[in-house]
Amino acid sequence: MDTVEKVRQLIAIMAEHDLAELEVEEPDLRVRIQKNVPPQYLPPGMNYAHLQPVPVGQGFRPALQPSTEAGQETVPGTREEKLLEIASPMVGTFYRSPSPGADPYVTIGSDVEPDTVVCIIEAMKVMNEIKSEVTGSIVEILVQDAEPIEFGQVLFLVEPEAE
Amino acid sequence: MFTRVLIANRGEIALRILRACKEMGIETVAVYSRADMGAKYLELADEAVCIGPPPPGESYLNIPHIISAAEITNVDAIHPGYGFLAEEDTFAEICEESNIVFIGPRSDVMRKLGNKTEARRIAKENKIAIIPGSDDVVEDEEQALELAHQVGYPVMVKAAAGGGGRGMRIAHNDISLKNMLALARSEAGAAFKNSAVYIEKVLERARHIEVQILADHHGNVIHLGERDCSIQRRFQKLIEETPSPGIDDDLREKIARAAVKLSRAVNYTNAGTVEFLVDQNANFYFIEMNTRLQVEHPVTEQVTGIDMVKEQLRIAAGEQMSLQQKRLEFRGVAIECRINAENPADEFRTSPGTVSEFVPPGGRGVRVDTHCYSGYEVKPFYDSMIAKLIVHQPTRPEALACLRRALGEFIIEGIHTTVPFYRDLIQHGSYVNGSFHLHFVEEFLESMT
Repeated sequence: MDTVEKVRQLIAIMAEHDLAELEVEEPDLRVRIQKNVPPQYLPPGMNYAHLQPVPVGQGFRPALQPSTEAGQETVPGTREEKLLEIASPMVGTFYRSPSPGADPYVTIGSDVEPDTVVCIIEAMKVMNEIKSEVTGSIVEILVQDAEPIEFGQVLFLVEPEAE
Repeated sequence: MFTRVLIANRGEIALRILRACKEMGIETVAVYSRADMGAKYLELADEAVCIGPPPPGESYLNIPHIISAAEITNVDAIHPGYGFLAEEDTFAEICEESNIVFIGPRSDVMRKLGNKTEARRIAKENKIAIIPGSDDVVEDEEQALELAHQVGYPVMVKAAAGGGGRGMRIAHNDISLKNMLALARSEAGAAFKNSAVYIEKVLERARHIEVQILADHHGNVIHLGERDCSIQRRFQKLIEETPSPGIDDDLREKIARAAVKLSRAVNYTNAGTVEFLVDQNANFYFIEMNTRLQVEHPVTEQVTGIDMVKEQLRIAAGEQMSLQQKRLEFRGVAIECRINAENPADEFRTSPGTVSEFVPPGGRGVRVDTHCYSGYEVKPFYDSMIAKLIVHQPTRPEALACLRRALGEFIIEGIHTTVPFYRDLIQHGSYVNGSFHLHFVEEFLESMT
């Protein structure tokens, strides 16, 4: 069967068994499928210092070409056309909320303005509040809570405010 | 031994360190700025983390970004390479505080030797001759003039927090001394955040002789011979060789012993280089000690057969050095040319751009350390060195013949490089017979116009 059909079948298996993640390796195909699981929060009382970063697949691989600078439009593509990117201005660990158990700064659909704090990036034990720098509404969150991130990594996709 | 090391550098030295780690089974994390995105050597690392935009201050010199990258990739140690943060004692200190091993000397030793007037004082204290000049920083113009009259012109005004040939100005008389003093101070303030300067006499037709040191954390200190780095342009080394064709074995021994003595005096650990000037009367004088791996380390590696980066890793991991001074053998002659993306016909202006064709030389006795390849884009943000060509042969005449041959084979198209300049320079009589000195390149360039 062709690749797309195989992947469809794998997704069906995931749904049937309520799996969050499935990885299959065959001689000529390697697939990893992850369900969009809401981040798990630690019970109140734990602080971030104890939270281990989520391993990111095989770790950081070098990017082959730069994605756009934070806040600029993406290269025209398909559905990504005209979406703005919020990219990380630093290296560190991404957190969606001000503290464990608290509500995330933004969710899908949240309206943002340039000064809206969208997340925290922790670097060297300092929690840095990251501002949106753009105006619009969040349409996609590309990273997970406690995920290690590098400079320039795209964190959110934002639909710009309608003219 | 370390499980994982982060390489806080770029280009050929990042690749050099990466290779040593790989051979030792150590996992590697490379860091890169957006300007270096797509560089092929990054693909050889186990992980590569983007740490900032092109400007060095926001990437390769950005301590928080680099330490953060080290934390999220869980490394045991950081190798700083040369340049960038390699001699930044605050960086070494932050590593120490973050429980990451800094592959180099301790921060307090770096601080001590990084202060050039303090280093001179330590040398003097240990009965190592220093270049005649000020005992400490020069406070004012009056003091500077008095000193200059004492030691005699020409004099060099140098930044106390400088090093590596930066922040230095020559003055030939009282008027130029006043100007150079002001100029050197403001340059030092801008470059090193410290405008303190000191003065040294300029020795005529001297040679730059430096000694490679390796020291472990168990009290063992050895030297790996000297390098002659007299072929310089504007205080930047162009060609280095070992052994020096300009000193005899007796002087060689004396200089090496002085270097070891100084290293012991400061409880030095890991790799370092003690730099001296040798005058026409075979007197040697201490200049400074560099607390890092040097660009020209390959020539020492070739004649000793020792992998310096591996030794650095072993020392930093706490191992006792297996190398013993009396068992070291020095074989043959090694010469290195630093190939820069510069146009020798246009005052050595930097020549960034795409290298359309890159075909390095090969064959017996030829080593090329480079991160370049056909299609590589040389960016304007960083220093212009794109490759190091090292030759190693049993005798100097054979090394020169090999160098001539290798430079003749080297194809680098699409940008200007200093390859043609070296092809001419190494034909010059004074270079061939080894009688060159620090003014050689200057005089050679003048003779060409």
